[in-house]
Order: sequence, then C-alpha cells, then structure tokens
Amino acid sequence: MRIVGVVFLVFLFLSCEPGLTVPPEVEPGFGGIVFFEKGTWPPQDSLFNLWVFASQIYPLDSLKVFEGLFADPPRIYLYPAIDRNLPLFVDSTSYAFALPPANYLYVGVLQRFASEITVRSLRVVGLYGTPDNPPLPIPVVVSGSQFIDGIDIRVNFHKPPPQPF
Amino acid sequence: MTTGTIVGKVTDAETGRAIVGANVVLRGTFIGSATNVRGEFRLTRVSLGTHGVVVSMMGYERTTVEGVTVRSAQPVRLEVKLRSAPIQAEQVIVTASRREQSLQEAPVSVAMVTAKMIVDRNNVTLDDALRYVPGVNLMQDQVNIRGSTGYSRGVGSRVLLLLDGVPYLTGDTGEINWETIPTHQVDRIEVVKGAGSALYGSSALGGVINVITRDAADSPELRLRFFSGLYDKPRYEEWDWSPHARFNSGAIVSYSNRVGPLTYLLSLSRTVDESYRQNDAYHRWSFYAKAKYDVSSFKNLTVSANYLRRTHGNFFWWRSLREATRPADPQLNGKVTSRRGNISLSYKELLSDRFFFTVKGIYFGNYWRDDSSGRVNNTSESHLFNLDIQATYTAAAGHILTGGVGGNFDRVSANLFGSHPGVGAAAYVQDEIGLTSQLKLTAGVRFDWQKVSALRATAQLDPKLGLVYLPDDATSVRASFGSGFRYPAIGELYIESSTNVSQVVVLPNVDLSVERSLSYELGVSRQFGKSVFADVAIFNNDFRNLIEPSVLIKRYRPYPTSPNEVEGPVIQFENVTKARIQGLEATVKVEWWKKYLSTDLGYTYTWPRDVNENTILKFRPRHIFYASTLIGYEYFRASTDFRYVSRIERIDDNLVRLAPIVHGEQRVPIKVLDLRLSYDLLALGFPLRVGFNVNNVFNYHYVELIGNLAPVRTFILSLDGIL
Repeated sequence: MRIVGVVFLVFLFLSCEPGLTVPPEVEPGFGGIVFFEKGTWPPQDSLFNLWVFASQIYPLDSLKVFEGLFADPPRIYLYPAIDRNLPLFVDSTSYAFALPPANYLYVGVLQRFASEITVRSLRVVGLYGTPDNPPLPIPVVVSGSQFIDGIDIRVNFHKPPPQPF
Repeated sequence: MTTGTIVGKVTDAETGRAIVGANVVLRGTFIGSATNVRGEFRLTRVSLGTHGVVVSMMGYERTTVEGVTVRSAQPVRLEVKLRSAPIQAEQVIVTASRREQSLQEAPVSVAMVTAKMIVDRNNVTLDDALRYVPGVNLMQDQVNIRGSTGYSRGVGSRVLLLLDGVPYLTGDTGEINWETIPTHQVDRIEVVKGAGSALYGSSALGGVINVITRDAADSPELRLRFFSGLYDKPRYEEWDWSPHARFNSGAIVSYSNRVGPLTYLLSLSRTVDESYRQNDAYHRWSFYAKAKYDVSSFKNLTVSANYLRRTHGNFFWWRSLREATRPADPQLNGKVTSRRGNISLSYKELLSDRFFFTVKGIYFGNYWRDDSSGRVNNTSESHLFNLDIQATYTAAAGHILTGGVGGNFDRVSANLFGSHPGVGAAAYVQDEIGLTSQLKLTAGVRFDWQKVSALRATAQLDPKLGLVYLPDDATSVRASFGSGFRYPAIGELYIESSTNVSQVVVLPNVDLSVERSLSYELGVSRQFGKSVFADVAIFNNDFRNLIEPSVLIKRYRPYPTSPNEVEGPVIQFENVTKARIQGLEATVKVEWWKKYLSTDLGYTYTWPRDVNENTILKFRPRHIFYASTLIGYEYFRASTDFRYVSRIERIDDNLVRLAPIVHGEQRVPIKVLDLRLSYDLLALGFPLRVGFNVNNVFNYHYVELIGNLAPVRTFILSLDGIL
C-alpha cells in the first residue's frame, strides 16, 4: 500500500506541473545602461542633442539616415524622442526603448554637436558592439512580445567608434 | 530428392501458448525461419541427414533439438516447448563485434529495442522508439548518446546509423533520416554506446545504432495496422491556434510469402499528421520491399528497397513563447517536399562451419526542396553508395577473426552546398581471443581514407580494445577503449546561404578538420536469481575538434554577384570545442509476481565539460532517467513509460539572438509520462490486437529543441492484425 501511495503522490505532483507557461505580454523593445567615460564629456554648447538610436539599416550613409528617420514607418528610431535628450553630464543612465518588432542592425548613442540639422552635425559616440578595436555593431532582434534587457552601451566622447557617414 | 522439410510448432512450456516470432535455425547453415502467429515454422531445402535445430526467443531459454533426421520429402514434424529464462538471458546482438554474440559477451554497453516495443508504443518513426533507451536522448529527431551531440539540427550526426549493418547517413548533410526506415518492418534496434569507428568508420563518435529489418515470413502472411490519434488542446488558450481538432493517422499494409527458395515482403504505408502546431502538418507515402533468395543451405542473397515521398510544413521555431504553436513569420507559408529512397543488396555465404563472408551494398538517394509562398528557396540532391565486404573466421585456439574492406562514393548537388563528389575507402580487422574460458580479449583496428571534392585527402587509423570477464554464469565484467572520428559533412564544408528561413548569413569553411573522440568504459552486469538484472557502467569520452556553428563578425558578399562586401555577423561551422564527458549509467530490470509485473529503470549521469572554456558543454543534459512498468495478464497488457531529462544548463545565446528565436532561451526539465493499454483478441479467435495510448498524460509543456514546443497530450487508438 505504501508503494501505491508513493506512486499516487508522484503522479499527483506531476499532474500539477505545467512545464513551460505563457509569459506575460510586454511592450517590445530593448533597454540597458549607457555608461559615459568619466572626464570625456564635451562642453555644453556642443551637446545640442544626445540620443540612443536603433537603426534597421546598416551600413548607413548620409542619404539613408534621413530616409530612415522619416520613412513611414521609420527604420531609424531615437530615444527618448527627437526633441528630447538623454541626461547630460552623468556617469551612467538607464534607458528603456520601446520599439516595433524588427531586426535592429545598428544600435548606439548619437550626438548632435552643431546647431544646423544635417548629417554633418551628427556623430556616433557610443556603439552596442563587439569588444574588437574598432568595434563592430551587434544586431538586436526585437520580437512581438519581448523586451530585451542588457543592451549596455559605453560612450567615450574622446574615442568615438567608426562613423557611418 | 536431395532435400526435405522440417515443420513444427513452438509453445510456452508453462502455459502451452504459441510463441510468435521465435527464431528457428538449422544449426551450421543459413536455413532459418520465424514462427508465425500460430507459433508454427517451416524449414525447407534441408539436406537429407541428421541435424540440430536451434530455437531461440527473447525471454526464453535457447533450446537445441538434437538428432532431427530428414530422410525423404516427407516433412519431419517437431514440437518445441521453450522454458522461460532469466530476464536478460539469450539476447543475441550483432553490432558490437560485427558478428552474432551473446549480450553478456559484448565488451561495450549495448541496449536493444525490439519490434514489440515499437508496436506497443505506436512509434511512427524510429527516433521515437529510442526515447526510452538509457543514455540516449533526442533533441527532436537528433539523437545524442551519452552527451556526444549538441545542437546542429541533425547536420553532421555524431551517432552512426546502420541499416542492416551498412552506414546510412544522408550524403549532403551527414544526418540521420529516420523516415526512410520502415518502422514496422524492423526486427530490432541495437544501440552501441561509445566510439565505434574502429569497426564502422566515420561518424561513430558517440555510438552506433544498427537497425535490423525483419525477414519475410515463410508462409503467406498479411499484416495490417491502422492507427488514429487526436491531439489534445494545450493548457493555454494562447497556444490553441486551431478551431478544429487535430489528428494524426496512418495505415500500413504488408504481405509476405515464400515461393520456392524465395521469400519476399511488400509493404505500403500512408501517414497523415495534422500536427498540434501551425504549418507543421505532413503527408507521407512509403513503399518497402525485401526479398531473400536461398541459393543453397549455405548461401543467400537479400535485396531490399524503400521509397518515401513526403510534404511537410516548415515549422523551424516558434513565433514566441506566447505563440508557441505558431511558426515565426518567415516560416508561415513554407513547406518542404522530399523524395528519398534506397536499394540494398546483401550476399552471404558459409564456406565452412568456421568461415563465412558477406558482401553488402547500398544506394541511398535524397532529394528535398523548400518552398516559401510558391517560391523555391533551397534544393538538394544527393546520391550515396556504400559497399562492405566482410569475412569471419573461427580459428582454432579460441580466436575469432573478423576483417573486411569497404568503400563509399557520394555526390551532392545543392544550391546551398554547391556540387561536390566524395569518395572513401576502408579496411578493418579484429581478433577476439579467448584467453581462458572466462576471459576474452578483443583487439581491432580500422584504416579509413576519404577525399571530398577538391580538398586534400585525409586518412585515419582507429584502434579498439575490449576485455570481458565472466566469473560465473550470472556476472559479466567488461572494459573497453575505442576511438572515433567524423569527417565534416559536405553540408558543413560548403554551406553558403543568405536566403534561408532563419535570415542569418551562413558561410562555408573548407578548412574544417576531422572530429575525433576517445572512449573508455568499465561496466559490470549481474543477474540476481531469475527476476532481477542490473548493469552499471562508468565512462569517459574525450572529444577534439568538435564542429559547432559559430557566430562571427566577417566581411562577406551579401549575394554571390554583389560587387561590394559588407561586414556583419555570420554563422560558420568551426572546429571550436574540446570536450570531456564523464558519467555513470545504471539499469535495473525486475520481474515481480510471476512476471505479471515488470519494471525497467535506467539512469544516466553525465558531466559534459567544454575544456576550452572550462564550463559545461552547450545543449547537454546532466541527468537522464527512464522508468517503465508493464502489467501483463492473459491477453491484456497495461504499461507506462516515464522520462525525465534535466534542464539543459547552457545553450548558445548568440544562436538564439541572431536566428532570431524569440524566447529561445526558455526551457524546463522534461518530465513526460506515457500510458498504454492493449488487448489481444487472439483469445477470442481473431488475429487482432487493439491498443490505446495516451502520450504525455499530464499535458506537460516542454522543449527538446530550442523554440520548438514538444507534442501535447495525444490519444491514439491502434488496430494490428495478422492474417
């Protein structure tokens, strides 16, 4: 009888276990921390804008930047928004970038350092990339129901990564 | 008249019931037969004189009827009663040493799956039949013996599949295609664990699986099998993608007979599986034929052929765990069409009672293509020929010598791999030396040479050594050492894709080296009384140059005619991993209450380490546990199978991210219980068996392969008849 009891309990235990379950629905996107190298911040008058960008296009050229930003739907996105900035003069800042599901081939931090709004006034100052020198971009795949953590980006205003334009 | 006939019936000595499937062989010849559904057999073309007739059946003591005298054409009649034997006794295997030997005499661990187990479990393809073999686990249809294989979606199998003793991997990707094996024409499957290249050549790094097909019956026999299964709903509404019930069903019809010296078997099967997942259904036709011609009592020729045609949805991985039964968008309209077939030929001749040889050849052709929304993406066509000539000589002074030569030729033509030929040759020799009546040493070596396309030829020399000590009738102690290797498959060397469903660029690597392994094993088995059998083994497997898909940042042309190169992440096969897998395996079989109840337990612990990274090897479980119980009373049988595979501790995060497989990292331990009931209507005078299976009784949700939800609870009704 004891054996039957143990077998029954094992079966009862097994019957309650579902295994994999449906994860909660989340807003798709990715996030992480932007680390700024200490002592490399440029003067305030060259920090017109500072964004995290996510581009479905890579490699980029001057033409593709504006096409991508203003396409419908866009293929290049900026965080927090085109008219807002990441916090300035901090050591690090966390971010959570809500994005439509897609394969983002080129992710990093973009600085607008001049008043005119042209490609010549933009430069990439941080890249989500490989540890190589120079680093290469690592794509981030955003799916329909997944928010990806851990997309950390290091910014050194004195040593920006290779420029795409 | 120079020959006669022996007919008879084999029954259980205790119950008097007919024994179906017992082997009856005229000693010292190839003349043999299996008992039919009424326990009857017929040996024809028996030379006049006095003979010994050997009768064997798993679970019974092997019996030899001496002094059977055939004097004229008048059939000689025998009544043979078999007595039940200890549970592990009289298992005869052919794979461990390339000749028939008792399981107890094998110097390596061998497990067996019988035809009865396959029918009881209603296995539609053979990979399903291997799910309950200790030390074996499957990642969907990719087989892994004691941790030898990681994630490769089947490409470059590290387990060698043999069909009736001849290598049977596809020519393009070097993988196992289970579907082309006629599941219900299989007599048994032998699973040899550990490196086996010293006998069988490339791909036997982790082990060898030998599928042995059954011979045709000696008298007219029509076998019918019908099954129909219903997939239950998954536990969660989010995964219930179809408003309709989903079924899988099939029919297999086979007929066999003897015409003079010729026995033949013809089989046709049709299987339709609507699947529990979207765009995962398949339709399959399969035809199989086998004929054996007894040239004389000492020579026979066997020819078999198989053809399969299938269309299958292209479910590669789920859209996400929220939509685990729907494929990712690029796979939604894809389908794979395949045509595969083989023709094999085997000639066997007994030159004396000490010397015989066999010549075996096989052609294996494969064609497949995948389409997406009516557009053909990838196609592949491969043709593979294998030839093996083997001789076995039982010398005086306790030596059994086995030697042979082999060759292979394959040609692949595919848009993914290009067009490439491959050619190889091999020679092997083995000596089994009876040092004393209790101690036997086996030593062997094999030389292999292989050349693929324009690449430089490579050669391998693989030794093996085994020792078996039988201190008493009930105990066997074994120790073995063996080496293994695997040539890179043409698919791994030459694959080049920027258009496949995963949308990941894959680049060729013609610099791949041969994978190598060394296996050591120490084991002991013992029969305790008539009802308990136990086997324990410890093993160590070292692997070098394991080929794995790596994610690299490289410059490449996005398409062949592109004038510019771009830089980005790509997948390429590389020799990256040096690994050590150590472990322990234990099996216990017990029969209770006059054999009305039997239990079968198997546990395997592996410690798989990536020596380069000093971490656990990717995609390998640490614990595998199987438990089966069977209750049999009269014609009724009830049985359960429980399977536990511990959670895979490490996977390839880059692969998950780049593919991309959303929620691909999600995995749990596997805990699955199957239940089977069957009733044999023979008692009521009908040659019919009714079976009812519930697979995955608790509707437990898990993955074997990342991003692929395993089957939900399934109810299957089956009918088997023999006329």
